[in-house]
Amino acid sequence: MPSPFQPVSKDPEAAHKLLASLWERSLPTLHERLTLLDNSVVAAQAGALTPQLRQEAMETAHKLAGSLGMFGYPEGTDFARRIEHQLENDTPVDALQLAQNVAALRASLSL
Amino acid sequence: MRRILIIDDEDDIREVAALSLESIAGWQVYTACSGAEGMRIAATELPDAILMDVMMPAMDGPTTFKEMQKIPDLAGIPVVLLTAKVQGVDQRRFAGLGVAAVLFKPFDPLTLAEQMSDALGWN
Repeated sequence: MPSPFQPVSKDPEAAHKLLASLWERSLPTLHERLTLLDNSVVAAQAGALTPQLRQEAMETAHKLAGSLGMFGYPEGTDFARRIEHQLENDTPVDALQLAQNVAALRASLSL
Repeated sequence: MRRILIIDDEDDIREVAALSLESIAGWQVYTACSGAEGMRIAATELPDAILMDVMMPAMDGPTTFKEMQKIPDLAGIPVVLLTAKVQGVDQRRFAGLGVAAVLFKPFDPLTLAEQMSDALGWN
């Protein structure tokens, strides 16, 4: 009979410190992902958002939606999810709304 | 001690999940960055459970799960899918595969092990 779940660490502060170091390590990737979303905004505003860039931006938003909340940025997850939903169907992209969501995502991360 | 295999192509998710399961729960963790690598590690280590991402390039989580079901040694290992898809239709599709549970990203690193224990009936 398996034993009930018993956390071995009762020091959430130590876990938070480790998480903070992982967050620092993930920042270069985060910046790359935000730059890709910025590029999709510029393309959408110019009416030149290609299907490939749209797909890449949608996948990037999906990844951000799945990761930001675990680092303590639930608002970042919310905005990333909005961007993902905005890009995932075949309807024309509202460039202004996309720009607002990407700006809000950046603001939520204090970057 | 529980032995868990984490399969996720994203480094940050894999590292945070491993950190969470190792340092909070004290479980032994193996990691793989693709479905193919995960199957290889699962075959050699035979973990108690597998935590696997849904969206991965080349071989996604559902496909990897189906491939594992064809291998007798792996078919009995409970698989928990991890997904950032929150829409009901996706949830029902994943649950219908026959996996042990579906958990959602972003997860709380401080409670991930407890969520897995609950989902797998280990509590």
